[in-house]
Amino acid sequence: MSEPPSSWEDKTPERLYVITGGRSGPSTAVQLDLVTLVVAKVPARPEMQPEHAAILRMCQSPLSVAEIAAYAGLPVSAVTVLVGDLMTARRVHVRPPVPAAQLPDLALIEAVINGLQKL
Amino acid sequence: MAQKDIPPEAARPDAGTSWMMPAITAVAAVCLIGALISSSEPVRTVCVAVGAACTAAALAEALRRGRALTARHSQIAALQHALSRQETEAVRLSQVVLTEAIERLRKGQLPEEVLTALGGRGGQGNRWGNDTALSPRFRAALQSVLALVIDTVDNEENLRHSAQRAFVNIARRVQAIVHQQAQEMREMEDRHGRDPHVFGDLLRLDHGTALIGRLADSISVLGGARPGRQWSRAVTLYSVLRGAMSRIIDYQRVELHSVSEVAVVGPIVEPLIHTLAELLDNATRYSPPHTRVHLTAAEVQSGIAVEIEDGGLSMSEEARRRAERMLAQAQSGIDLNDLGETPRLGLAVVGRLAQAYGFQVSLRSSAYGGVRAVVIVPQHLITTTAAATGTAHGIGSSSGPRAVPPAPREHPVDRASAGVAVPRPAPASVPRPTPAEGGPATERTATGLPQRRRKDRADFYDAPPAAEPQSAHDPGPGMWLEAFHSGLSGGSGQDAQDARDARAVQDTGDTSGSATKGA
Repeated sequence: MSEPPSSWEDKTPERLYVITGGRSGPSTAVQLDLVTLVVAKVPARPEMQPEHAAILRMCQSPLSVAEIAAYAGLPVSAVTVLVGDLMTARRVHVRPPVPAAQLPDLALIEAVINGLQKL
Repeated sequence: MAQKDIPPEAARPDAGTSWMMPAITAVAAVCLIGALISSSEPVRTVCVAVGAACTAAALAEALRRGRALTARHSQIAALQHALSRQETEAVRLSQVVLTEAIERLRKGQLPEEVLTALGGRGGQGNRWGNDTALSPRFRAALQSVLALVIDTVDNEENLRHSAQRAFVNIARRVQAIVHQQAQEMREMEDRHGRDPHVFGDLLRLDHGTALIGRLADSISVLGGARPGRQWSRAVTLYSVLRGAMSRIIDYQRVELHSVSEVAVVGPIVEPLIHTLAELLDNATRYSPPHTRVHLTAAEVQSGIAVEIEDGGLSMSEEARRRAERMLAQAQSGIDLNDLGETPRLGLAVVGRLAQAYGFQVSLRSSAYGGVRAVVIVPQHLITTTAAATGTAHGIGSSSGPRAVPPAPREHPVDRASAGVAVPRPAPASVPRPTPAEGGPATERTATGLPQRRRKDRADFYDAPPAAEPQSAHDPGPGMWLEAFHSGLSGGSGQDAQDARDARAVQDTGDTSGSATKGA
């Protein structure tokens, strides 16, 4: 993480459960993953919750959930809650990660690697 | 004891000589009559002589009694003077001297100093030492009463102080543990933040720890100490309000509305958080569980007014007076005995903090039918957000891959009329929510949790007909990446869209697998 959590703790009196409203996971049906890409649909507005606004500002270009968490200094679950809120409000687009079933077979990749090494 | 100074014989008339006057007068009268009716010369002469002697004796007795009477009168006057002096001094002791002695002791003066200053035993300013109207015994009695009272009050004060110190000491230990715990919880939340179940449990534990911390803070405040940790730098008001929310049980019912973009100076942060937390706790505790509690902060002439409004039962005028009296009493010092067996610490703590840090707290009936608590933070305790911690609201405004200038927050008060020299960016051209739109609507998320619904969201709901086609045909920012991915998966854009939708549906039933994959 780019920001050590201890500094966050020392700088603000608010706890994580207030930021997430006591929720530990997103309320949306879409599964948010570490590598899920998030991109803002609308610009950040001043009257939004600051975390929402910060995510919208960050996600003007696509950013993964893991990256958002790192930049914001928040745990991944908290970020998924916040992104879930933004999805419900239709303020972000979320690109689910490439499904595992659509990834090439592991054996195929190994074969390709082997083939490349033999070159 | 004072009566002993009066001679006993003076107390009642002289019984031994009181019969003499009538007897002498009678004898004189008889002699006079005898002299008048007697014909013989010698008898008349004897009668006249006896009569004259008797008259002389009567005159002498009258003179003597007159002198005795005068002496008695002056004696009575002296006694009355002494009595009135004693009465004055007794009243003075009870009404002035003892009050002042207790006052001085409460202020922390040493008992010897107080005794000397107020004319106690052997003191330089011996109040009663050279007053001859007071007998030595009476003076000694007054002095011993004063000394006794001072001793007793001093003992009581010592006892109270040591009890308070013990309170504060224990509270400090609890606070230290809670603070340590909170930090560790935060680390754990980061460490296990990827598992929603563990994360949820940690949030609940974190919440419980914060509640314990607030209780320890309350005990500390009632013991006459600071509520808790000190903040070296200013903290934004928004963070302070959410900090207060994080210390109550029903924080999810608190709806945070517009907040002026100002910060609170470091030394005031913790007291303000604690004050607001106690008021929020009262508001959520004494209103129905399904109602919301509204929290706003706006600039006023004298500083910042933080308002807490609940939709509970309205306070009767009598209850309101009682609450105000409780606040006022707390401001003049708290007697721990008054808290009773089921202490309602909240208002006592609020009053104490308000008195110590200069907040104004008032309780009124709310327009929502419940109670409206207003805390006014004076202007000199407010500073600009620029002086506050760099990472406002926990997220650095400049963090992120690109430094985007932070959008200005909407300001509830007209800046020109506020008259505060706080440099702020110009307000964004956001349509301000008008009060006429009705009460703030709440909605439930899919999990049944209450969710704040912003009034401006109507803009976004109205927008979709325009926004949807744009997202479908015009690749917005980031959509090129989607095309890239779909290209990788070997399908056209439309196929990828379908596959993604199918996958999204499939993913809902397969949460754990994906989560662990992500980790």
